Parts: sequence; structure tokens; C-alpha cells
Amino acid sequence: MRVFSGQRAWLLQRFTAIAILVLLVLGAFPLVTTDGSAYERWHAMATSTHGVVLVLAFFVSMGLHAWIGVRDVVLDYVHAPALRLPLLAVVAFVLIAVQIRVLMILT
Amino acid sequence: MQRQPVTNGAVRPLPKFLNLAQIRFPVGAIASILHRVSGVVLVVALPLLASALGESLRSPQGFDAVLESATRSWFTPLLFVGVWALVHHVFAGVRHLLMDIGVGVRLSQARASALVSIAAGIVAVLVALLAWGLR
Repeated sequence: MRVFSGQRAWLLQRFTAIAILVLLVLGAFPLVTTDGSAYERWHAMATSTHGVVLVLAFFVSMGLHAWIGVRDVVLDYVHAPALRLPLLAVVAFVLIAVQIRVLMILT
Repeated sequence: MQRQPVTNGAVRPLPKFLNLAQIRFPVGAIASILHRVSGVVLVVALPLLASALGESLRSPQGFDAVLESATRSWFTPLLFVGVWALVHHVFAGVRHLLMDIGVGVRLSQARASALVSIAAGIVAVLVALLAWGLR
């Protein structure tokens, strides 16, 4: 599958990078501006409607960004096809598992 | 001995072998490889982050347990590796984004920003260690 390759991957890497930074700031803002214990502030933020979307978008962005980054690193340093493909498959499996896990936590 | 002319008219001997101890990477290359290393560290941290998300939202006890294991267990040294990776990766990443739009592309600026990104990671770890020690 060549959905995330070439210029599209390059562009997606930039967009997800910016998204991750923006989402970190947006997520940190209610944590430092509200009252209550650390747990109360964190729980209120991450379980609010906005918070769920924010955390989900954060992990999706991280997953895409991580995939493109790891793929570049693996393709640059791992040349043996017998090693390359299984390695990429393991990374893809773990990244997709993380997305499913986050989805199950938040819903 | 083989000699190779250089532009100013002087000659210098060609290196006869690759002396690993004499190779000096430019600061941009060091920042670049650290960007990759820190990226891989953050990818490894991602499943742990998902676990921490679930545990910390489960209950106040779960939240405390996450903080406890992050700051007071065998894992704590890895927390500082994570702090370094995050801060270096963000600084080096923003450096890349700025360069993409033509900011700081001159060699002297690029070297300075590479140094800043390396220093930022080190300073972040020192600050984190200080905060951890004073807590």
C-alpha cells in the first residue's frame, strides 16, 4: 500500500507535527487554568467532549507521524527484505493496536 | 605519497585510511541523528503513554499509581530519557518546519539552531532532574 509515500508522506509528517504541538498546548491549557486536584483537572479535561476529541486526535496524529518516521528510519538502515518487512509489520501492528486501545479507553 | 592540490595553491596529503577517531560530525548531522534517535524513543513510549492514559483515567488511585511508577520506580531513569527525547524532537522538528518555509537556512543559522536543539534536550533533562530532586 502506497497511501503514505513520497510527497504525501512528507506533507503529512509536517501537518501531523504541527497538529501534535497544537493539541499539546490545547490539552495543557485547561489543566493549568482550572481548579481542583491534579486528578480532577486531568479527568475533567480528558473526559469532556472536547477533551475526548483532543486526546483522540493527538494519538491519531502521533500514530501517523510515528509510522512515517519509523518507516523512513527502517528503510534507511534495514536493507535485508527478510528483516525489513517483518519489522515494519510489527511497528504497524503496535501502532494500530495503540489506536484501538485509546479508542476503547475513551469510549 | 599522493598529494592533492587545494584551491589556495597549497598541497595536503590525502588521508591514507579512515581514522574514526579523527572524524568530526558537523553539528547539524548530530542534531539530525539525534532527531531520529529521539523519534524512535518516542515511538517506543507511545504504547506506554496509551497505558498511562487508561490507568490515569480509571480512578484517583490509578492516577497516583501512574505518577508513582513514573517518578519513583525502576522506570524513572527512562522518564528522563523520554523528557530528553520529547524536548529534542520538538526543537529539532520546529527547526525543520522553519527551514521548510525558508527560515534559518543559512549555514551559520542552521548550525546555531542545531546547537540550540541539542542544548535544549540537555537543559530539559537537567531541569527535570532538578525538579525531581527538589520534589
